[in-house]
Amino acid sequence: MYSLLTAFQNSVGRKILTGVTGIALTGFLIVHLAGNLTLFTIDYSNADNAFNRYAHFLHELGLLLIVAEIGLLAIFLIHAYLGIAIYLRKRKSRPEAYKQFKTRGGASKQGFSSRTMIVTGILLLLFTVSHVNHFKFGPGWSGEAEYTQVVNVGGEETQIRDLSKLVGETFQDPIYVIVYVAIMILLGFHLRHGIWSALQSLGAMNKKLTPVIYAIAGILGILIAIGFLLLPILIYFTV
Amino acid sequence: MSTMTINLKVWRQKNASTPGKLVDYRVEGVSEHMSFLEMFDHLNEQLMKKGEEPVEFDHDCREGICGSCNMVIDGQAHGPQKGTAACQLHMRHYKNEDTITVEPWRATAFPMIRDLVVDRSAFDRIQAAGGYISVNTGAAPDAHAVPVSKEDSDIAFDYAACIGCGACVAACPNASASLFTGAKVAQFARLPQGQVERERRVVRMVEQMEKEGFGDCSNYAECEAVCPMEISIQSIAEMRREYMKAIT
Amino acid sequence: MSTKSNLNIETSPLLESKVPQGPLGDKWSSHKNNVKLVNPNNKRKYKVIVVGTGLAGASAAASLAELGYNVDTFTILDSPRRAHSIAAQGGINAAKNYKNDGDSVYRLFYDTIKGGDYRAREANVYRLAEVSNAIIDQCVAQGVPFAREYGGLLDNRSFGGAQLSRTFYARGQTGQQLLLGAYSAMMKNVDHGNITMHNRQEMLELVVIDGKAKGIITRNLANGAIERHSADAVLLCTGGYGNVFYLSTNAKNCNVTAAWRCYKKGAMFANPSFTQIHPTCIPVSGDYQSKLTLMSESLRNDGRVWVPKKKGDNRKPSEIPDEERYYFLEERYPSFGNLVPRDVASRNAKDVCDKGHGVGASGLAVYLDFRDSIKRYGRDKISERYGNLFDMYEKITDENPYETPMRIFPAVHYTMGGLWVDYNLQTTVPGLYALGEANFSDHGANRLGASALMQGLADGYFVIPYTVGDYLANEKSAAVDTSHVEFEKAEQEAVKRIDKLLKSKGNKTVLDYHRELGKIMWDKVGMSRSEAGLNEAIRDIKALREDFWNNVFVPGEQSTCNKYLEYANRVSDFLELGELMARDALDRNESCGGHFREEYQTPEGEAQRDDVNYCHVSAWDFPGDPDSEPVRYKEPLEFENVKLTQRSYK
Repeated sequence: MYSLLTAFQNSVGRKILTGVTGIALTGFLIVHLAGNLTLFTIDYSNADNAFNRYAHFLHELGLLLIVAEIGLLAIFLIHAYLGIAIYLRKRKSRPEAYKQFKTRGGASKQGFSSRTMIVTGILLLLFTVSHVNHFKFGPGWSGEAEYTQVVNVGGEETQIRDLSKLVGETFQDPIYVIVYVAIMILLGFHLRHGIWSALQSLGAMNKKLTPVIYAIAGILGILIAIGFLLLPILIYFTV
Repeated sequence: MSTMTINLKVWRQKNASTPGKLVDYRVEGVSEHMSFLEMFDHLNEQLMKKGEEPVEFDHDCREGICGSCNMVIDGQAHGPQKGTAACQLHMRHYKNEDTITVEPWRATAFPMIRDLVVDRSAFDRIQAAGGYISVNTGAAPDAHAVPVSKEDSDIAFDYAACIGCGACVAACPNASASLFTGAKVAQFARLPQGQVERERRVVRMVEQMEKEGFGDCSNYAECEAVCPMEISIQSIAEMRREYMKAIT
Repeated sequence: MSTKSNLNIETSPLLESKVPQGPLGDKWSSHKNNVKLVNPNNKRKYKVIVVGTGLAGASAAASLAELGYNVDTFTILDSPRRAHSIAAQGGINAAKNYKNDGDSVYRLFYDTIKGGDYRAREANVYRLAEVSNAIIDQCVAQGVPFAREYGGLLDNRSFGGAQLSRTFYARGQTGQQLLLGAYSAMMKNVDHGNITMHNRQEMLELVVIDGKAKGIITRNLANGAIERHSADAVLLCTGGYGNVFYLSTNAKNCNVTAAWRCYKKGAMFANPSFTQIHPTCIPVSGDYQSKLTLMSESLRNDGRVWVPKKKGDNRKPSEIPDEERYYFLEERYPSFGNLVPRDVASRNAKDVCDKGHGVGASGLAVYLDFRDSIKRYGRDKISERYGNLFDMYEKITDENPYETPMRIFPAVHYTMGGLWVDYNLQTTVPGLYALGEANFSDHGANRLGASALMQGLADGYFVIPYTVGDYLANEKSAAVDTSHVEFEKAEQEAVKRIDKLLKSKGNKTVLDYHRELGKIMWDKVGMSRSEAGLNEAIRDIKALREDFWNNVFVPGEQSTCNKYLEYANRVSDFLELGELMARDALDRNESCGGHFREEYQTPEGEAQRDDVNYCHVSAWDFPGDPDSEPVRYKEPLEFENVKLTQRSYK
């Protein structure tokens, strides 16, 4: 009886959408991380490796990939828009700040991760733009020879992009490694509150389970972050 | 009986259009058995004996059930004690020469009236937007016509225990009224009597909450931590479930 | 079996009870069949003002609005939901007989009449018992989460003065849940546009035009604005006046002002001295104390009341063996034990303390001990029943009642007296009604536990919708213009009084006066009263009142939120009411229920009624000036269905 569109117009709807998009983005991160895990196993001097083949496989999906990418972009933008909208509304809801303000503790989930969602979120937004620009649209995107190689895919000689080379080179730069690791730590904080919060927002909560889910969400967030940040460190020291 | 001296920093504001500020007071002769509000009575007596204007604050039952009292004490709504409204907080939790900052509930939806007194009528309007079961007087079936499981009834009670004080809003970094609204929605959603208007109720109450200018919920759960009745944020989760069911 | 009081009575034609003819059980239904009706299309042309939004006010406002009347509600609080009904803990009675323990409308009626020591009107009490069941139905349908058993049906518990389990409850917060139910019914009508709320507004004057109530003057407590509101009928649902004692279990803002201003406009005040002193309150701990906290009577279901047998015994309660404990209620009243009515329990607690057995620092407390119940049922069961009360006790006293007995002492809790009303709940001013605790009608000289909630809701949901229609059907529905000269005059009175208060910049605070008044009232018009004491009280209150108007300090100005101005205004009325209470107590040369005159007691020290000379309601008429003597009229009480006996709970 009520339209889905009204959901954008109130706090509960916004929170549900934030949760849905957040869960979707977390799902994407897990898939992304799974793909990244191949980078732990490969020989960076040989372009014919599992990572590049996986990347190629994705690329070959063609239209399907584009649709998926547009979907992902939409989810990302909606999530970012909602996060910013929630923050701006918060500013309007209490124009005069408390002179003193502190958490009661106990049931409260107020802490560094929950209070900095807007900051970590915006940094992640900026990072993502640069990340996509650097890797997806970076060297090899337009088929430069230096970053491509012909390999045998399913019995056919195919030119594929040597993305692992770009990864290996990128993380030779200590500054890049440090920034990347730092951002991944922020991602961990964002997920620490975000995963739990998304589940709560979707109403999947139960008073007794809350502490359990809160803990599991925290562990999941940390694992994802560690998964991502180990890679550059490893590459820097080993490749 | 030994007494204490307490240093207070109290928010004084003549009305919504005049800016306010924290004013320092030194309150002598505070007994540890006094409630926090009795300490304010005591301060006001001292002020008036000097011909000064007393501090205005809302209070009524002083036994933690009417929901009138509203003080942010050292940055915490209702002060440091769990499950306790300011009126039930006692001075035995403080020591001699402590400094305590006292501010009003701060939220756009709770406009300032004077000093620590704010206007919480937004809550009434949320309640009027469907926070009821439509049954006219005399139209009720026998009380035993519909059994309600003890579990549902007990959970409904946990939500119904809300005293409408607004601490949830005051303590929320976003000034959200989700716990207040969620508790009412979840109470009725649990009961067979509340089923007929279930969808309409949640959508209207949520929309009213928006109109009043409360902020969004970011699942800080600070509301649950300060709630004098310790109402769980499960009620907020239930409100969202109700809302999803209603709009899909 | 009819008892009539003496015939040489000062009756007033205004005190016509209008009790319908016929057998007791048929009175209300035949009355409902005979009241005049207002055409549904005409109802919206009538405006009804409801002052106070507790159980009585909220339920009346909702019910009348549903019928189609235009309703304006007024509360001094910032929301109707905060009315002091919210603090009622224990429960609400109804004659459902869900327990199959032999309950019936008649038994509830009988217990209530007897509990009130035969000083209530039979027909009113019977009607109360009759509609009690519908209240439970109504509340359940509103979503009130009463306690239930595992089978999903409603649970009951016992209360004082009854040998049945007929009390419905919602943990220790029954009043809260019932009020929120009535409030939600009210808010539904606000939603539908039938009720206009005026929150933070205090009624200062009643406007009477051609002898009929036609409106009120209010002060907006947020900005001081004085407002005029006209209507076709005014319902006073403003609660009791226990705060005249300064320390009471009432909320801090409970006051008599609205009722008192009506008294001054011709509404007679009935049985003002009938005050209920509740036996189980947390004892006073110091001078700074601002109010007393009740511990629900339901605790006496499982708690045992005792004091040490040895006077001045300073040992810890746990160190006092059973044989050295005096379980005085169980010993003195074996058949009701700890569940004797409130007046009896309070008087006995005072008695043992007076004899030197009291405990605690002040010696003014007795133990309420859960040791045996915890042993029998386990801590969890007791916690489920009373958890919130135990927590509250611990917060206030810093003692854990699971481990050490509670210390309790009687405190002022409820006032049975109030504006005189007839069977239709109409006061002696036509068009002015009083509902709930604000009227005097149903509890006689002592109210039984769990009956206040019942009465408030009975009046609001099920009585007033019929009776107010009967009145309005005869009234032209032309709401009076608020520019009428009577509105002007009433407003001037209100403004003059406020100005006078604000000009008073003396050296004593309002609180000083309230405390002093409270002390006089508690010492001399409290649990036990004597002729000499009451005469002193009248003299002292007069003097205090005079001093108040000369020396009180009222801060601030009129045009802002100014709670000490409100307070001063209320205390100024208490200073007049207190005197009337003492006069009423002095005038009633008998003991009955909560009114205990030392001169009139049985050899066992129980209240000794005088049915020959005092089987009546005393209704006081304002003499036109607070310093003159009011006139006392009588409404004789006729008992056709119960036999007046010495109450015995032995």
